[in-house]
Amino acid sequence: MSVTDPITDGLPHSLLEARDLGRRLSRDAAVSGISLTLNRGDVVGLLGLNGAGKSTTLRMLCGVLVPDEGDVTVNGFAMADNPLQARQHIGYLPDEPPLYNDMRVNEYLKLSGRIRGLRGHKLNERQQTVTEQCLLQDVESKLIGTLSKGFRQRVGLAQAMIHQPALLLLDEPSNGLDPQQLDSMRNLIMDMGRSATVILSTHLLAEAQAICNRVVIIHAGKLVADRPATGADLELIFHGATT
Amino acid sequence: MIAIIARHECTRLLHSAQTWIMAALLTALFGFLFLKHLEGFLDVQTQLAAQDHPVGLTGYMSVRYLEPLALVFTLVAPLLAMRSFSDEFRNHTHALWQSSPVSSMALVAGKFIGVFLVLTLLVILATGMLVSMQVFVSMDSSLIASATLGLLLCTSACAACGLFFSSLTQHSLVAIIASLSLLMFSWMLGSGNFTAAPMQSLAGLSIANHLRGFFQGYVQTGDIAFFLLMTLLFLCLSVTRLDAMRQTGR
Repeated sequence: MSVTDPITDGLPHSLLEARDLGRRLSRDAAVSGISLTLNRGDVVGLLGLNGAGKSTTLRMLCGVLVPDEGDVTVNGFAMADNPLQARQHIGYLPDEPPLYNDMRVNEYLKLSGRIRGLRGHKLNERQQTVTEQCLLQDVESKLIGTLSKGFRQRVGLAQAMIHQPALLLLDEPSNGLDPQQLDSMRNLIMDMGRSATVILSTHLLAEAQAICNRVVIIHAGKLVADRPATGADLELIFHGATT
Repeated sequence: MIAIIARHECTRLLHSAQTWIMAALLTALFGFLFLKHLEGFLDVQTQLAAQDHPVGLTGYMSVRYLEPLALVFTLVAPLLAMRSFSDEFRNHTHALWQSSPVSSMALVAGKFIGVFLVLTLLVILATGMLVSMQVFVSMDSSLIASATLGLLLCTSACAACGLFFSSLTQHSLVAIIASLSLLMFSWMLGSGNFTAAPMQSLAGLSIANHLRGFFQGYVQTGDIAFFLLMTLLFLCLSVTRLDAMRQTGR
């Protein structure tokens, strides 16, 4: 699904291209032969059992981990040749949000914006926007260390989207959230999916079905299925692909 | 980008209780040593004045008060730098930098400058006590400037060393033990009377040997180059380590 016209935009149609990604951690191959193309407007669920290689794949896609094999291109920039330009288009929320407990939420968001090149009025405007989007108004002057798990996830998400990245990579964003927090996190991700391409890893099939328009299943480090999220029994497909 | 990271690091240190406790203890130590050696000078000044080349207040205080402080800064600099990267690894905040458009070089340079700025304040505090004597007596400003330069260069090299060891581990205690072991070894190289050729060349790597001149008013390019190269070496090693983390994943 594409929400922008690549011809009028003058931008490459596919936002992310990963070709034959392979990575060994210790002696074993954590992932191998992963090829993935994400178009503008895609909200992709990366599904797999624990230890299937979802986090390793996401870390390679966002440039945190260099693949042993294959290459990644983000918005036309090859991660190997132009890592800084490629990372400028990415927002990443790891499974453990990268938060400074001794900073206040607004200070942290300012820092996150500044290191992504935002300054002055634009920085204040974006900080205000993500604070509202992530419903952080009531805690913006609180120390991050004092926040609940749900708010910490929201702050992590806010830092990932402060620079309006074209591509958002979320590693198990609903991990450890209670049902109410889970619901508001889903709404937030669906909101983000309107303006950015999102790829989120999860092992919750219901979550993928509710949020995503496409699912990619990884099993034992290999991509075993890539299909639309709707119109099929996802549970059946998942069990078929992972057993 | 470097300025943003330096500001963040500097603010982080200035918000830490550990930094202020260390600053308070150092102020007490500087004050004690300063007054002790000032009193010592007053006791011996008539004997010193009788010498062929009498040593003035600045010369006396530079060698007796400022030179030993170089050893204090050798301990303090890695203590301030030890948490720079290890805390980031332990708290999982390093992913913020790794996924941002920030190069490893900018990250290392920013963190180093942040730590060095805080250390510079402490060096100014130490030398400021001597400078304050200018109100009462005439002081040798060039000697104070040369001693301050020596302290700053030594502090910079030790901070870079601490930063490097901090980039190797998520345990700041391991980082401080490793950096202090190396730095103390370098100090000890200058205290031995080596006769064998290989040991004599090792003595060339001694921090103490390269510092001595600064406190006697001799600023030698070789000594400046030693500390600058030592700083640069550890910063480059830190950059290499951070880049290697993307390759190895840990």
